[in-house]
Order: sequence, then structure tokens, then C-alpha cells
Amino acid sequence: MPRLEVELAGLRLRNPTVLASGVLGLSAGLAKRVEEAGAGAFTTKTVTREPRRGYPNPTFVVLEHGYLNAVGLANPGIDYFCRELREMRQRLSIPIILSAGGGSAEELVEVAKRGVECGAQAVELNVSCPHVSGMGVELGHRAEEVASAVGEIKRLGVPVFVKLSVHHDYIRLAEACLDAGASGFTAINTVRGMAIDIYARKPVLSNVYGGYSGRAIKPIAVRVVYELYEAFPDAPIIGVGGVDGWEAALEFILAGASAVGVGSEIARKDLGLFKEILEGLEEYMEREGFNSIEELVGLAHRS
Amino acid sequence: MGLEPKSAGPRSAQSAGFRLRAGHARGAVVGARVAAKQVLELKLEVDLDEPEPGQFVMLWVPGVGEVPMSIADYDGGVLTMYITRRGRVTGYLHDHVREGVRLFVRGPYGRGFSAIERGRALLVGGGTGAAPLHFLAKRLRERGVDCVAALGFRSAEHAILLGEMARLCRVEVATDDGSMGFGGPVHEVAAKLLSEERFDAVYACGPEPMIAAVLELARSKGVPFEASLERYMRCAVGVCGSCVLEPLGLRVCRDGPVFSGEVLSRVEDLGRWWRDADGRLVPLR
Ligand SMILES: Cc1cc2nc3c(=O)[nH]c(=O)nc-3n(C[C@H](O)[C@H](O)[C@H](O)COP(=O)(O)OP(=O)(O)OC[C@H]3O[C@@H](n4cnc5c(N)ncnc54)[C@H](O)[C@@H]3O)c2cc1C
Ligand SMILES: Cc1cc2nc3c(=O)[nH]c(=O)nc-3n(C[C@H](O)[C@H](O)[C@H](O)COP(=O)(O)O)c2cc1C
Repeated sequence: MPRLEVELAGLRLRNPTVLASGVLGLSAGLAKRVEEAGAGAFTTKTVTREPRRGYPNPTFVVLEHGYLNAVGLANPGIDYFCRELREMRQRLSIPIILSAGGGSAEELVEVAKRGVECGAQAVELNVSCPHVSGMGVELGHRAEEVASAVGEIKRLGVPVFVKLSVHHDYIRLAEACLDAGASGFTAINTVRGMAIDIYARKPVLSNVYGGYSGRAIKPIAVRVVYELYEAFPDAPIIGVGGVDGWEAALEFILAGASAVGVGSEIARKDLGLFKEILEGLEEYMEREGFNSIEELVGLAHRS
Repeated sequence: MGLEPKSAGPRSAQSAGFRLRAGHARGAVVGARVAAKQVLELKLEVDLDEPEPGQFVMLWVPGVGEVPMSIADYDGGVLTMYITRRGRVTGYLHDHVREGVRLFVRGPYGRGFSAIERGRALLVGGGTGAAPLHFLAKRLRERGVDCVAALGFRSAEHAILLGEMARLCRVEVATDDGSMGFGGPVHEVAAKLLSEERFDAVYACGPEPMIAAVLELARSKGVPFEASLERYMRCAVGVCGSCVLEPLGLRVCRDGPVFSGEVLSRVEDLGRWWRDADGRLVPLR
């Protein structure tokens, strides 16, 4: 039997699948179901210092080749979420990665600190959400500020991942973060986009702009993972973007990802998607003669 | 057969083959009338995949907002909804939507009721909770299932669907102020019916305290039960997690909105907690 276990910046994952941030990520009950569905790790929805109600509906729409959302980082705030994190820790045995958001390095650090106190086993910095002004991508443009947050959070003693976007100079940001002690990267967040209904003759999302996800962004995400691995071969990467089955997961792994995020394609395949990926990976490895996922990571780079 | 297979809960999650249409379907309003106090009956000509009773749609009013709405009927390409005035979007629909206006819909979404194939069914509705029960009653009648509908409203002025339901089932009415039928909560009517008559299934939709009360009644009689719930929704397709019920982690939009009694008896949020737009639990009002 081939081995699916992977090591991700010191975290032991029973397999390389990770629930992506913002998808099913605020409740311990759902986290448990995600674990039961087979996920190797769980990322929470991005949590900020204060509660946020997000944008009014429509906040999500299914498109021909993907999905567009502008939820607006709705979350209960870290103080309230602490209780949920504790319960997640009690009920789950897979690692829990807290996605921390905010408008400044100070806020990221505060959220991360509280989150780790409440049980998070790793932190992911969301400096890449494309549809909330003052947070996300805008913060990601300020590489030095993000790096300073990484440095402080690193001192909490848990792995720190920085979530990247195609909308900033991700190689430069990645380098600054690595210098500051980042453990690895999550790539990519959604791609800024919009949709107009041709009969309403209006943008569909109340926020007009949103983040595009799903199958359509996979080639973009694979490219970013490939570039990151080439630039920083020792930094572990969680590859995210349009994973809709085992083939897509493998593409990310071959590009250099040690783990693979599963997000909006759950809309089509539901939680069964995890099992489908795991069974597919196992069969592929058996058929193609690989014993462990680690043998496949970044293999597309070697000749 | 019972009611379990379709909505047994987490384990029976939908897998491959879930068809999702892109964007919204456009519809023309072919009927908009005040059906009762604060309730708008809206008929929309719109091309949808055939809905199941208990499923819902997301109704989009461009420039105003998008809200989940139960399907009261879908017949000949016409979607019927009963809309209570609540806030911004429903208020706009009441005040501005007339025949000829264009509205937009995505869906149908969710898991509906599992209509029994034979026997007798009791339907218990409160307020616009009568809407999905009407669609269910039609399905039951098509199958030759006998039904009794106990429908509760605040007053006679608030009552909807009485004529339509009377064509499908025997109807018993309850009003809070006693202005029509039994004066008191509709679950007391249901209690009486359940103690005097035999039913093979009980279906409910309406305020959660009523659902919780009818769930208890059905359990004590050993009759299979299903009810449709509401929670704050965004994506409506099971990815954003906004409408989750604890401790089972059930998404009302995808695992529901209809759940079996067996599942509901383990939902601690039932009748107690509403999950607000920011994800915090607040007491159900
Ligand atoms: C599956 C489902 C079926 C429904 N069927 C019907 C129906 O047949 N008839 C009917 O009148 N109402 C129905 N509702 C409730 C209806 O969606 C809300 O009344 C409506 O969203 C209120 O919007 P608003 O802008 O007018 O009010 P707001 O001022 O925005 O909100 C008023 C209250 O409505 C609820 N609400 C607001 N937004 C949402 C949302 N996105 N999802 C769920 N609840 C929300 C909240 O309790 C809120 O406090 C259903 C809800 C769900 C989830
Ligand atoms: C509804 C929704 C909400 C999201 N919320 C967040 C979030 O809070 N934080 C974050 O870092 N990414 C968020 N994302 C982005 C995903 O984590 C992921 O990076 C992106 O969707 C691409 O992966 P996918 O194609 O598998 O969905 C969200 C995506 C969706 C669809």
C-alpha cells in the first residue's frame, strides 16, 4: 500500500488534502464532518479581531467554469471564535490551521496569538483576499509589514504559512516572509473578478467585485506553485485552486505542493470529494510505482 | 419505507452528479397579489430544473438583494412563492414588484421532503411555512396519499393557501387570536389529530418552537417526521458554511432544508439558536 502521509512544516498530515480557508470553516460540527470525510488538515475561515457581518447577498454565484464570491470576510471575531477553536481541538485529531486576517501586522499578530492560545496548531496569514478593502491583497502589497507579522507570530512556536495571491508580487513577498521565518506558503487565493447578468444588466455580486475560484483558476494556481517551488525548493507549499479530483491534486503535488487545498469544488462534489481524491491518489501511486507522496512532490521540475 | 433514506443526515451527503446551473435564471412576474396581511403571493414564469417539494430558490432582485424562498408550487413553468414582509428585500418585493417586472432565480437547491408512497400524512404549518407544504400536498395527492393539514396563523387576516390546501387535504385551522378555527397554537391541533387518528408520516414547516413541539409529538407516537428549517444563507450550495446547525455540522442549504426527526432530535440549535451573518449564535427570536 502506498503511503499518503506527508509532513508539512512539522505538522504530520495523514494525507495531503487540506480544507481551504473560507469553506465550511467556522463550525466545530462541520470541521468534524470534514475530518470524517477524509481531510488531512483543516483551515478555519479567516478570522479578524472584530466580528464582521460581510456583504449583503448576492455574495456567491456559480459560473460556467468556476465560482465567484464576495462574502466579505464575515466572521465572529477571534474572541468569540476562540470557543469554537477549543471545541475543534477537542473533537478533531487532524491539525487545525487558523487563518488570520486583519488590516495591519498588529491585528494579524493579535488574532494569531489568541488563536494559538485557543488551540490552533498552525497559522495561515490571509494577506490575499481580493475583495475587502484595507485587508487581504492590500496588506499583501506591503511585504515588509507582512514579514514583521510573520516574525512575531513565529515566536508563538507554531508553523506560519503566508497565503499568496496573483495580485501581488508573490515571489518578493514570499522571499521577505521566508527571511522573517515563514514556514511555508499557501497558493493561491481567489482571483479578482466580476460577473454581469446580461438581462439584469447589472453586476451580480452586491460588492460588484469578487474572488474567482474553481476549476478555471487551476492552471494559474499550478503555475504559481511551480514558480514558488523553483524559487524556494525547501519551503513547503499548500497548493490551492480548482482542485476537483485526484488528477488536479496530483498536478499541484508534481508542481511542488506538499499538500493540496480543497475549496469551492465542494459545491459540485460535496464532501465526498476528499475520499475521491485519496482513492485516486492511492491507485495512481500503486499503478505508477510510487511508495509515498513525498516522492512525487516537485517531480515535474526534475528531468 | 419511512422518511429516512433521503435526509438521514451527514452520512447521506450528495456526491457526484449534483447539477449546478451557472448564473441566475430570469423570470417574468405573472402574478403579484397580497394573499394575506403582510404576505405577497408572487408568481414567476421561469425555466428551472424540476424542483422537489421542500426545495428552495435564491430570489435575486438586482440592485436590492437576494433571499432564500420556499417553492409553494412549480407548475407549467410558473414558480409560486409566498413572501412575508420582513426587511429590505422582502419589503421591496411587497412595495415595488408588479406584473411584468423581471426577477432572477437560482436553484432549486437543497433536499426536499420524502413524500410517502401510500397511507396518511399530517402536515403542520405555521405562517408562510404553509408554502412548501402546499407543494408537498400536491405530490402526496398525486400518489393517492390522504392528508390532513393543520395550519396556524396569527389571525384570520394572516391566513394563506386555505382554499388551495382544501382541494388537496382536509384542513384544520388555528389562529393565535381565535379569529378563525381553533384559538391557540397549531401544535395543539396536531396533538389532538395525532391522538385521535392514525398517520404514517408527519411533515412540518414554520416557527421552530412549533417544529420542536410537533417533533416531540411525532416521536411519542412513533410516527416518522420531517421538517423544513431556515437559517441565514449565502452560497446556498453548501460551501460557505453560514447556515450550519450544531453539533452535527449540518448545512441547512445542502443537507436540508428538510431534516428527519431522527436528525432533528440531535440538533441542539433547534428552537434555540440562530446563526447570525457574522457566524455568532444568537437566541432564536
Ligand atoms: C430555505 C428557506 C426558505 C424560506 N422560505 C420563505 C418563504 O417561503 N416565505 C418567506 O416569507 N420567507 C422565507 N424564508 C425567509 C426569508 O428568506 C427571509 O425572510 C428574508 O431573507 C428576509 O430578507 P429581508 O431583506 O427582507 O430582511 P432583512 O432585514 O435582511 O432580515 C430580516 C430577517 O430575515 C432573516 N434573513 C435575512 N437574510 C436571510 C438570508 N439570506 N437567509 C435566511 N434568512 C435571512 C433573518 O432572520 C433576518 O433577521 C426562507 C428562508 C430560508 C432559509
Ligand atoms: C466562499 C468562499 C470563501 C472564501 N473565504 C476565504 C477566506 O476567508 N480566507 C481565505 O484565505 N480564502 C478564502 N477563500 C479562498 C479559498 O480558500 C481558495 O484559496 C480559493 O477559493 C481557490 O481554491 P478553490 O478553487 O479550490 O476554491 C474563499 C473561497 C470561497 C469560494
